[in-house]
Amino acid sequence: MRRSLYTVGAVLVVAAAAAAPATAAESQSAASLSVLHGVPDLTVDVYVNGALTLDDFAPGTLAGPLSLPAGSYQLAITAADAPDASAPVIGPVDVSLAAGGNYTATANLDAAGTPTANFYTNDVSAVEAGKSRLTVRHVAAAPAVDVLAGGAPIVPNLSNPGEATLTTDPGTVSAAVAAAGTTQPVIGPADLTLAEGTSTIVYAWGSLEAGNLALATQVIDGLHSSPGSVPGGQSGLAAQDDDAGAAMGIGAAALALLGGAIAVSRRRTARV
Amino acid sequence: MHPSRMATGLAALSIATAAVLGGCSTSSAGPAEPAPPAAPLLAPTPPPGTVPVPEPPVPDAAASPTAAPPPAAGTGVAAGIPVRPADAAVQPPPPAPVSLDVPGTDISVRVVDVGIAGNDAMEIPDSFWEAGWYRFGPAPGADAGHAVIAAHVDSQTEVMPFARLKDVDPGTVLTVGLADGSMLQYRVDDVRNVPKATLDGSDVFRRDGPHRLKIITCGGEWLLDKGDYEDNVVLTASPL
Repeated sequence: MRRSLYTVGAVLVVAAAAAAPATAAESQSAASLSVLHGVPDLTVDVYVNGALTLDDFAPGTLAGPLSLPAGSYQLAITAADAPDASAPVIGPVDVSLAAGGNYTATANLDAAGTPTANFYTNDVSAVEAGKSRLTVRHVAAAPAVDVLAGGAPIVPNLSNPGEATLTTDPGTVSAAVAAAGTTQPVIGPADLTLAEGTSTIVYAWGSLEAGNLALATQVIDGLHSSPGSVPGGQSGLAAQDDDAGAAMGIGAAALALLGGAIAVSRRRTARV
Repeated sequence: MHPSRMATGLAALSIATAAVLGGCSTSSAGPAEPAPPAAPLLAPTPPPGTVPVPEPPVPDAAASPTAAPPPAAGTGVAAGIPVRPADAAVQPPPPAPVSLDVPGTDISVRVVDVGIAGNDAMEIPDSFWEAGWYRFGPAPGADAGHAVIAAHVDSQTEVMPFARLKDVDPGTVLTVGLADGSMLQYRVDDVRNVPKATLDGSDVFRRDGPHRLKIITCGGEWLLDKGDYEDNVVLTASPL
Protein backbone atom coordinates (compact mmCIF):
# COMPACT_ATOMS: atom_id res chain seq x y z
CA MET A 1 0.00 0.00 0.00
CA ARG A 2 2.65 2.39 1.08
CA ARG A 3 4.84 1.45 -1.80
CA SER A 4 2.13 2.13 -4.35
CA LEU A 5 1.51 5.54 -2.80
CA TYR A 6 5.16 6.40 -3.17
CA THR A 7 5.05 5.22 -6.74
CA VAL A 8 2.15 7.49 -7.54
CA GLY A 9 4.01 10.36 -5.94
CA ALA A 10 7.08 9.69 -8.02
CA VAL A 11 5.06 9.55 -11.22
CA LEU A 12 3.43 12.88 -10.38
CA VAL A 13 6.80 14.47 -9.79
CA VAL A 14 8.08 13.18 -13.11
CA ALA A 15 4.97 14.42 -14.88
CA ALA A 16 5.37 17.85 -13.28
CA ALA A 17 9.00 17.99 -14.34
CA ALA A 18 8.09 16.99 -17.88
CA ALA A 19 5.35 19.61 -18.07
CA ALA A 20 7.56 22.37 -16.66
CA PRO A 21 8.56 25.10 -19.08
CA ALA A 22 11.54 24.05 -21.13
CA THR A 23 13.49 27.26 -20.48
CA ALA A 24 16.07 25.82 -18.13
CA ALA A 25 16.44 22.58 -20.02
CA GLU A 26 16.62 24.51 -23.25
CA SER A 27 19.49 26.71 -22.13
CA GLN A 28 21.40 23.72 -20.78
CA SER A 29 20.85 21.60 -23.85
CA ALA A 30 21.54 24.35 -26.35
CA ALA A 31 24.78 24.76 -28.21
CA SER A 32 26.22 27.96 -29.56
CA LEU A 33 27.39 28.19 -33.17
CA SER A 34 29.12 31.10 -34.89
CA VAL A 35 30.08 31.19 -38.55
CA LEU A 36 33.09 33.06 -39.91
CA HIS A 37 33.42 33.82 -43.60
CA GLY A 38 37.09 33.79 -44.56
CA VAL A 39 37.09 33.17 -48.31
CA PRO A 40 38.13 36.38 -50.11
CA ASP A 41 36.00 37.76 -52.93
CA LEU A 42 33.18 35.25 -52.54
CA THR A 43 29.74 36.14 -51.24
CA VAL A 44 27.85 33.02 -50.17
CA ASP A 45 24.68 31.66 -48.63
CA VAL A 46 24.85 29.32 -45.65
CA TYR A 47 22.35 26.50 -45.21
CA VAL A 48 21.77 24.61 -41.97
CA ASN A 49 19.97 21.31 -42.49
CA GLY A 50 18.94 22.49 -45.92
CA ALA A 51 17.39 25.73 -44.65
CA LEU A 52 18.80 29.05 -45.78
CA THR A 53 20.23 30.56 -42.60
CA LEU A 54 22.64 33.27 -43.75
CA ASP A 55 21.86 35.11 -46.95
CA ASP A 56 24.53 37.01 -48.90
CA PHE A 57 27.20 36.35 -46.28
CA ALA A 58 30.20 38.55 -47.01
CA PRO A 59 33.92 37.79 -46.55
CA GLY A 60 35.41 39.05 -43.29
CA THR A 61 32.12 38.88 -41.40
CA LEU A 62 31.11 36.81 -38.42
CA ALA A 63 27.57 35.58 -37.88
CA GLY A 64 26.11 34.42 -34.63
CA PRO A 65 26.14 33.06 -32.16
CA LEU A 66 23.12 30.98 -33.10
CA SER A 67 21.61 29.06 -30.22
CA LEU A 68 20.76 25.60 -31.49
CA PRO A 69 19.54 22.49 -29.69
CA ALA A 70 22.37 20.01 -29.25
CA GLY A 71 22.50 17.51 -32.05
CA SER A 72 23.85 16.89 -35.51
CA TYR A 73 23.58 19.45 -38.26
CA GLN A 74 24.53 19.63 -41.88
CA LEU A 75 26.15 22.86 -43.02
CA ALA A 76 26.35 23.75 -46.68
CA ILE A 77 27.80 26.85 -48.26
CA THR A 78 26.55 27.80 -51.69
CA ALA A 79 26.99 30.60 -54.18
CA ALA A 80 24.93 33.62 -53.16
CA ASP A 81 22.47 33.09 -56.01
CA ALA A 82 21.95 29.36 -55.53
CA PRO A 83 18.28 28.37 -55.29
CA ASP A 84 18.92 25.76 -52.59
CA ALA A 85 21.63 23.73 -50.85
CA SER A 86 21.90 21.06 -53.53
CA ALA A 87 25.06 22.39 -55.17
CA PRO A 88 27.32 23.67 -52.39
CA VAL A 89 30.66 25.29 -53.14
CA ILE A 90 31.87 24.16 -49.71
CA GLY A 91 30.58 21.09 -47.89
CA PRO A 92 28.12 19.82 -47.00
CA VAL A 93 29.79 19.24 -43.63
CA ASP A 94 28.14 17.26 -40.87
CA VAL A 95 28.82 18.67 -37.42
CA SER A 96 27.81 17.52 -33.97
CA LEU A 97 26.96 20.18 -31.38
CA ALA A 98 27.11 19.08 -27.75
CA ALA A 99 24.89 20.62 -25.07
CA GLY A 100 26.58 23.69 -23.65
CA GLY A 101 29.23 23.61 -26.37
CA ASN A 102 30.45 26.69 -28.20
CA TYR A 103 31.63 26.29 -31.78
CA THR A 104 32.80 28.28 -34.76
CA ALA A 105 32.48 27.00 -38.30
CA THR A 106 34.69 28.75 -40.80
CA ALA A 107 34.47 28.96 -44.56
CA ASN A 108 38.05 29.56 -45.57
CA LEU A 109 40.94 28.65 -47.86
CA ASP A 110 43.20 25.72 -47.12
CA ALA A 111 46.97 26.18 -47.25
CA ALA A 112 46.92 25.58 -51.00
CA GLY A 113 44.14 28.10 -51.64
CA THR A 114 41.13 25.79 -52.12
CA PRO A 115 37.87 26.82 -50.41
CA THR A 116 37.06 24.53 -47.52
CA ALA A 117 35.33 24.51 -44.14
CA ASN A 118 36.72 24.05 -40.66
CA PHE A 119 34.91 23.39 -37.45
CA TYR A 120 36.42 24.57 -34.17
CA THR A 121 35.39 23.99 -30.57
CA ASN A 122 35.79 27.20 -28.57
CA ASP A 123 37.20 27.05 -25.05
CA VAL A 124 34.53 28.71 -22.91
CA SER A 125 35.84 27.57 -19.54
CA ALA A 126 36.18 30.31 -16.92
CA VAL A 127 39.20 32.59 -17.25
CA GLU A 128 41.18 33.22 -14.07
CA ALA A 129 40.35 36.60 -12.45
CA GLY A 130 42.47 39.38 -13.92
CA LYS A 131 43.44 37.41 -17.05
CA SER A 132 42.42 37.13 -20.69
CA ARG A 133 42.38 34.17 -23.08
CA LEU A 134 43.77 34.41 -26.60
CA THR A 135 43.26 31.79 -29.30
CA VAL A 136 44.93 32.05 -32.72
CA ARG A 137 43.69 30.09 -35.76
CA HIS A 138 45.37 29.78 -39.15
CA VAL A 139 42.70 29.61 -41.87
CA ALA A 140 44.68 31.32 -44.64
CA ALA A 141 46.22 30.16 -47.90
CA ALA A 142 49.73 30.59 -46.54
CA PRO A 143 52.55 28.46 -45.14
CA ALA A 144 53.23 28.08 -41.42
CA VAL A 145 53.40 31.38 -39.53
CA ASP A 146 54.57 32.85 -36.25
CA VAL A 147 52.15 35.08 -34.37
CA LEU A 148 53.91 38.09 -32.85
CA ALA A 149 52.92 40.37 -29.99
CA GLY A 150 55.02 43.49 -29.62
CA GLY A 151 57.43 42.02 -32.19
CA ALA A 152 58.11 38.84 -30.21
CA PRO A 153 56.67 35.44 -31.20
CA ILE A 154 53.93 34.24 -28.85
CA VAL A 155 52.71 31.38 -31.06
CA PRO A 156 55.42 29.82 -33.23
CA ASN A 157 55.01 27.68 -36.30
CA LEU A 158 51.22 27.62 -36.68
CA SER A 159 49.97 26.02 -39.88
CA ASN A 160 46.54 25.84 -41.53
CA PRO A 161 44.11 24.74 -39.99
CA GLY A 162 45.91 24.68 -36.63
CA GLU A 163 45.10 26.70 -33.54
CA ALA A 164 46.86 27.66 -30.31
CA THR A 165 45.48 29.07 -27.05
CA LEU A 166 47.20 30.96 -24.28
CA THR A 167 46.28 32.87 -21.14
CA THR A 168 47.61 36.39 -20.97
CA ASP A 169 47.32 39.67 -19.10
CA PRO A 170 44.51 41.86 -20.38
CA GLY A 171 45.45 44.94 -22.35
CA THR A 172 46.23 46.12 -25.84
CA VAL A 173 48.96 44.32 -27.77
CA SER A 174 50.48 45.07 -31.14
CA ALA A 175 49.74 41.85 -33.04
CA ALA A 176 51.35 40.71 -36.27
CA VAL A 177 51.76 37.55 -38.31
CA ALA A 178 55.02 36.61 -40.01
CA ALA A 179 56.27 33.60 -41.95
CA ALA A 180 57.49 31.00 -39.44
CA GLY A 181 60.96 31.83 -38.18
CA THR A 182 60.84 35.44 -39.35
CA THR A 183 59.65 38.72 -37.84
CA GLN A 184 58.76 40.64 -41.01
CA PRO A 185 54.94 40.95 -40.80
CA VAL A 186 52.76 39.58 -43.59
CA ILE A 187 49.73 40.77 -41.57
CA GLY A 188 49.74 43.79 -39.26
CA PRO A 189 50.99 44.98 -36.92
CA ALA A 190 47.53 45.93 -35.63
CA ASP A 191 46.37 46.82 -32.15
CA LEU A 192 44.47 44.01 -30.50
CA THR A 193 42.60 44.67 -27.26
CA LEU A 194 42.33 41.65 -24.97
CA ALA A 195 39.67 42.29 -22.34
CA GLU A 196 39.76 40.66 -18.92
CA GLY A 197 37.55 37.63 -18.52
CA THR A 198 37.00 37.21 -22.25
CA SER A 199 38.23 34.88 -24.94
CA THR A 200 39.52 36.60 -28.06
CA ILE A 201 39.85 34.38 -31.10
CA VAL A 202 41.99 35.76 -33.92
CA TYR A 203 41.86 34.24 -37.39
CA ALA A 204 44.53 34.77 -40.01
CA TRP A 205 42.59 34.48 -43.28
CA GLY A 206 42.89 35.28 -46.96
CA SER A 207 45.66 34.41 -49.36
CA LEU A 208 49.37 35.23 -49.26
CA GLU A 209 49.63 34.85 -53.03
CA ALA A 210 46.67 37.16 -53.68
CA GLY A 211 48.02 39.68 -51.19
CA ASN A 212 44.81 39.82 -49.16
CA LEU A 213 45.84 38.26 -45.87
CA ALA A 214 43.93 39.77 -42.95
CA LEU A 215 42.98 39.22 -39.34
CA ALA A 216 39.44 38.47 -38.23
CA THR A 217 38.46 38.66 -34.57
CA GLN A 218 35.78 36.88 -32.56
CA VAL A 219 35.22 37.74 -28.90
CA ILE A 220 33.43 35.50 -26.40
CA ASP A 221 32.74 37.39 -23.19
CA GLY A 222 31.23 36.44 -19.85
CA LEU A 223 34.01 33.95 -19.01
CA HIS A 224 35.32 36.01 -16.07
CA SER A 225 35.99 34.79 -12.55
CA SER A 226 35.59 36.81 -9.36
CA PRO A 227 38.53 37.67 -7.12
CA GLY A 228 38.89 35.01 -4.45
CA SER A 229 39.04 37.50 -1.59
CA VAL A 230 39.00 41.15 -0.55
CA PRO A 231 41.83 41.54 1.97
CA GLY A 232 40.68 44.76 3.58
CA GLY A 233 42.47 44.38 6.94
CA GLN A 234 46.09 44.49 7.98
CA SER A 235 46.55 44.56 11.72
CA GLY A 236 43.33 43.87 13.60
CA LEU A 237 43.30 47.36 15.07
CA ALA A 238 39.73 47.97 13.91
CA ALA A 239 38.59 44.85 15.75
CA GLN A 240 40.35 46.02 18.92
CA ASP A 241 38.55 49.32 18.47
CA ASP A 242 35.30 47.36 18.40
CA ASP A 243 36.27 45.26 21.39
CA ALA A 244 36.87 48.39 23.40
CA GLY A 245 33.37 49.55 22.51
CA ALA A 246 31.92 46.15 23.32
CA ALA A 247 33.66 46.07 26.67
CA MET A 248 32.16 49.45 27.51
CA GLY A 249 28.76 48.13 26.48
CA ILE A 250 29.09 45.09 28.71
CA GLY A 251 30.16 47.32 31.56
CA ALA A 252 27.12 49.53 31.11
CA ALA A 253 24.83 46.50 30.98
CA ALA A 254 26.37 45.16 34.18
CA LEU A 255 25.80 48.50 35.89
CA ALA A 256 22.19 48.52 34.75
CA LEU A 257 21.68 44.98 36.05
CA LEU A 258 23.27 45.96 39.31
CA GLY A 259 20.96 48.98 39.52
CA GLY A 260 17.96 46.75 38.86
CA ALA A 261 19.03 44.33 41.53
CA ILE A 262 19.36 47.15 44.02
CA ALA A 263 15.89 48.42 43.13
CA VAL A 264 14.39 44.96 43.62
CA SER A 265 16.06 44.47 46.93
CA ARG A 266 14.82 47.87 48.06
CA ARG A 267 11.27 46.93 47.16
CA ARG A 268 11.55 43.76 49.11
CA THR A 269 12.80 45.67 52.03
CA ALA A 270 9.84 47.99 51.79
CA ARG A 271 7.38 45.10 51.74
CA VAL A 272 8.70 43.53 54.79
CA MET B 1 18.92 39.86 -51.41
CA HIS B 2 16.23 37.29 -51.45
CA PRO B 3 13.90 38.30 -48.65
CA SER B 4 11.26 35.72 -49.29
CA ARG B 5 13.82 32.96 -49.60
CA MET B 6 15.36 34.06 -46.40
CA ALA B 7 12.03 34.14 -44.67
CA THR B 8 11.20 30.68 -45.94
CA GLY B 9 14.52 29.33 -44.80
CA LEU B 10 14.16 30.90 -41.40
CA ALA B 11 10.66 29.63 -41.02
CA ALA B 12 11.91 26.17 -41.86
CA LEU B 13 14.75 26.47 -39.37
CA SER B 14 12.50 27.70 -36.62
CA ILE B 15 10.09 24.85 -37.30
CA ALA B 16 12.98 22.45 -36.94
CA THR B 17 14.02 24.15 -33.72
CA ALA B 18 10.51 24.14 -32.36
CA ALA B 19 10.15 20.46 -33.15
CA VAL B 20 13.31 19.57 -31.26
CA LEU B 21 12.46 21.79 -28.31
CA GLY B 22 8.97 20.35 -28.20
CA GLY B 23 10.56 16.96 -27.96
CA CYS B 24 12.55 18.14 -24.95
CA SER B 25 9.65 19.65 -23.08
CA THR B 26 6.93 17.08 -23.50
CA SER B 27 7.01 13.36 -23.01
CA SER B 28 4.79 12.49 -25.98
CA ALA B 29 6.74 14.08 -28.82
CA GLY B 30 8.92 11.11 -29.55
CA PRO B 31 12.60 10.61 -28.88
CA ALA B 32 14.29 13.80 -27.70
CA GLU B 33 17.83 12.63 -27.51
CA PRO B 34 20.61 15.16 -27.48
CA ALA B 35 23.43 14.03 -29.71
CA PRO B 36 26.14 12.17 -27.84
CA PRO B 37 28.88 14.72 -27.22
CA ALA B 38 31.53 12.05 -27.65
CA ALA B 39 30.90 11.74 -31.39
CA PRO B 40 33.76 13.00 -33.54
CA LEU B 41 32.90 16.53 -34.52
CA LEU B 42 33.62 16.26 -38.21
CA ALA B 43 32.59 12.65 -38.70
CA PRO B 44 29.69 12.28 -41.11
CA THR B 45 26.62 11.75 -38.98
CA PRO B 46 23.14 11.51 -40.45
CA PRO B 47 20.73 14.11 -39.10
CA PRO B 48 18.65 12.61 -36.30
CA GLY B 49 15.01 11.89 -36.98
CA THR B 50 13.93 14.65 -34.60
CA VAL B 51 15.29 17.32 -36.93
CA PRO B 52 13.08 17.40 -39.97
CA VAL B 53 14.86 18.40 -43.13
CA PRO B 54 12.72 21.20 -44.49
CA GLU B 55 11.75 21.47 -48.11
CA PRO B 56 14.11 23.57 -50.19
CA PRO B 57 13.09 27.21 -50.10
CA VAL B 58 11.21 28.29 -53.18
CA PRO B 59 12.96 31.08 -55.03
CA ASP B 60 10.95 34.23 -55.28
CA ALA B 61 9.82 34.54 -58.88
CA ALA B 62 9.49 38.31 -58.58
CA ALA B 63 13.07 38.82 -57.51
CA SER B 64 15.15 38.53 -60.64
CA PRO B 65 18.35 36.70 -59.76
CA THR B 66 21.37 38.89 -60.19
CA ALA B 67 24.83 37.56 -60.77
CA ALA B 68 26.50 38.99 -57.70
CA PRO B 69 24.32 40.69 -55.12
CA PRO B 70 26.28 43.26 -53.13
CA PRO B 71 27.12 42.31 -49.56
CA ALA B 72 24.12 43.38 -47.55
CA ALA B 73 24.91 44.63 -44.11
CA GLY B 74 21.99 43.96 -41.84
CA THR B 75 20.76 40.92 -43.69
CA GLY B 76 21.48 38.72 -40.75
CA VAL B 77 20.10 41.26 -38.31
CA ALA B 78 16.80 41.22 -40.13
CA ALA B 79 16.93 37.47 -39.86
CA GLY B 80 17.54 37.61 -36.12
CA ILE B 81 21.10 36.39 -36.47
CA PRO B 82 23.66 39.08 -35.72
CA VAL B 83 26.23 39.51 -38.47
CA ARG B 84 29.11 41.90 -38.01
CA PRO B 85 32.51 42.64 -39.44
CA ALA B 86 34.98 40.30 -37.73
CA ASP B 87 37.23 43.12 -36.62
CA ALA B 88 38.46 44.06 -33.19
CA ALA B 89 36.07 46.93 -32.53
CA VAL B 90 36.67 48.22 -29.04
CA GLN B 91 34.11 50.04 -26.94
CA PRO B 92 35.51 53.15 -25.26
CA PRO B 93 35.68 52.44 -21.52
CA PRO B 94 33.20 54.26 -19.27
CA PRO B 95 34.58 57.03 -17.02
CA ALA B 96 36.25 55.56 -13.95
CA PRO B 97 35.31 56.57 -10.41
CA VAL B 98 37.76 58.96 -8.76
CA SER B 99 36.14 59.82 -5.41
CA LEU B 100 33.80 58.45 -2.76
CA ASP B 101 32.05 60.36 0.02
CA VAL B 102 29.86 58.73 2.65
CA PRO B 103 28.09 61.33 4.85
CA GLY B 104 28.19 60.76 8.59
CA THR B 105 31.58 59.03 8.39
CA ASP B 106 35.21 59.97 7.72
CA ILE B 107 34.95 58.17 4.40
CA SER B 108 35.90 60.86 1.91
CA VAL B 109 38.56 59.29 -0.25
CA ARG B 110 40.16 59.20 -3.65
CA VAL B 111 39.26 56.15 -5.72
CA VAL B 112 41.92 54.50 -7.88
CA ASP B 113 41.71 51.63 -10.41
CA VAL B 114 42.80 48.26 -9.05
CA GLY B 115 42.96 44.71 -10.36
CA ILE B 116 44.15 41.41 -8.98
CA ALA B 117 47.01 41.13 -6.50
CA GLY B 118 48.70 37.86 -5.63
CA ASN B 119 46.69 34.88 -4.39
CA ASP B 120 43.71 35.70 -6.61
CA ALA B 121 42.82 38.55 -4.23
CA MET B 122 41.42 41.95 -5.14
CA GLU B 123 44.13 44.59 -5.00
CA ILE B 124 43.60 47.16 -2.21
CA PRO B 125 45.43 50.53 -2.08
CA ASP B 126 47.61 51.03 1.00
CA SER B 127 46.99 54.75 1.37
CA PHE B 128 44.81 56.05 4.18
CA TRP B 129 43.13 58.35 1.66
CA GLU B 130 42.41 55.88 -1.12
CA ALA B 131 39.94 53.16 -2.00
CA GLY B 132 40.24 50.82 -4.99
CA TRP B 133 37.67 50.28 -7.74
CA TYR B 134 37.77 46.78 -9.30
CA ARG B 135 38.40 47.87 -12.87
CA PHE B 136 37.54 44.51 -14.47
CA GLY B 137 33.95 44.72 -13.25
CA PRO B 138 31.25 47.31 -13.98
CA ALA B 139 31.95 50.96 -13.19
CA PRO B 140 29.67 53.13 -11.06
CA GLY B 141 26.93 54.34 -13.38
CA ALA B 142 26.92 51.10 -15.41
CA ASP B 143 23.68 49.70 -16.79
CA ALA B 144 24.09 46.37 -15.06
CA GLY B 145 26.13 44.47 -12.51
CA HIS B 146 27.95 45.45 -9.36
CA ALA B 147 30.56 48.20 -9.17
CA VAL B 148 32.94 47.19 -6.39
CA ILE B 149 35.00 49.66 -4.34
CA ALA B 150 37.12 48.34 -1.45
CA ALA B 151 39.49 49.78 1.13
CA HIS B 152 41.45 48.73 4.19
CA VAL B 153 39.75 48.94 7.58
CA ASP B 154 43.08 49.48 9.33
CA SER B 155 46.80 49.87 8.78
CA GLN B 156 49.68 48.54 10.84
CA THR B 157 49.41 51.59 13.07
CA GLU B 158 45.90 52.98 13.00
CA VAL B 159 42.22 52.47 12.33
CA MET B 160 41.15 53.74 8.89
CA PRO B 161 38.02 55.68 7.90
CA PHE B 162 36.38 52.54 6.51
CA ALA B 163 36.11 51.15 10.05
CA ARG B 164 32.87 53.14 10.24
CA LEU B 165 31.41 51.49 7.14
CA LYS B 166 29.54 48.99 9.30
CA ASP B 167 27.69 51.82 11.06
CA VAL B 168 26.32 53.50 7.92
CA ASP B 169 22.53 53.67 8.13
CA PRO B 170 20.30 52.38 5.33
CA GLY B 171 18.92 55.34 3.39
CA THR B 172 22.16 57.28 3.60
CA VAL B 173 22.89 58.97 0.26
CA LEU B 174 26.52 58.68 -0.80
CA THR B 175 28.35 60.26 -3.71
CA VAL B 176 30.75 58.82 -6.28
CA GLY B 177 32.72 61.24 -8.46
CA LEU B 178 33.70 60.13 -11.96
CA ALA B 179 36.74 60.99 -14.06
CA ASP B 180 34.59 63.04 -16.44
CA GLY B 181 33.64 65.37 -13.57
CA SER B 182 30.13 64.03 -13.11
CA MET B 183 28.76 62.95 -9.73
CA LEU B 184 26.61 59.88 -9.07
CA GLN B 185 24.44 59.40 -6.01
CA TYR B 186 23.50 56.08 -4.46
CA ARG B 187 21.17 55.30 -1.56
CA VAL B 188 22.35 52.68 0.92
CA ASP B 189 20.20 49.54 0.97
CA ASP B 190 22.00 47.66 3.72
CA VAL B 191 25.35 46.84 5.31
CA ARG B 192 26.12 43.23 6.06
CA ASN B 193 28.93 41.10 7.34
CA VAL B 194 29.85 38.33 4.89
CA PRO B 195 32.12 35.61 6.30
CA LYS B 196 35.33 35.66 4.27
CA ALA B 197 35.02 31.94 3.72
CA THR B 198 31.82 32.52 1.72
CA LEU B 199 32.75 35.69 -0.19
CA ASP B 200 34.23 33.64 -3.03
CA GLY B 201 31.20 32.37 -4.88
CA SER B 202 28.89 35.06 -3.54
CA ASP B 203 27.35 37.51 -5.98
CA VAL B 204 29.38 40.50 -4.80
CA PHE B 205 31.32 40.72 -8.07
CA ARG B 206 28.52 39.81 -10.45
CA ARG B 207 28.63 41.65 -13.74
CA ASP B 208 24.99 41.25 -14.74
CA GLY B 209 21.63 41.88 -13.13
CA PRO B 210 20.52 45.17 -11.56
CA HIS B 211 23.24 47.78 -11.11
CA ARG B 212 24.44 48.21 -7.52
CA LEU B 213 27.40 49.78 -5.79
CA LYS B 214 29.21 47.46 -3.38
CA ILE B 215 31.61 49.02 -0.88
CA ILE B 216 33.74 46.49 0.93
CA THR B 217 36.16 46.47 3.83
CA CYS B 218 36.97 44.05 6.62
CA GLY B 219 35.21 43.46 9.90
CA GLY B 220 34.17 41.03 12.57
CA GLU B 221 36.71 39.39 14.83
CA TRP B 222 40.45 39.52 14.16
CA LEU B 223 41.54 35.92 13.83
CA LEU B 224 45.01 35.76 15.35
CA ASP B 225 45.87 32.39 13.84
CA LYS B 226 44.99 33.59 10.34
CA GLY B 227 46.21 37.15 10.75
CA ASP B 228 42.95 38.26 9.17
CA TYR B 229 39.46 39.44 9.99
CA GLU B 230 36.73 36.83 9.94
CA ASP B 231 34.33 38.87 7.79
CA ASN B 232 34.05 41.30 4.97
CA VAL B 233 31.72 44.23 5.61
CA VAL B 234 29.69 44.77 2.44
CA LEU B 235 27.62 47.90 1.91
CA THR B 236 25.08 47.71 -0.91
CA ALA B 237 23.67 50.86 -2.48
CA SER B 238 21.28 51.51 -5.35
CA PRO B 239 21.60 54.32 -7.89
CA LEU B 240 19.33 57.34 -7.42
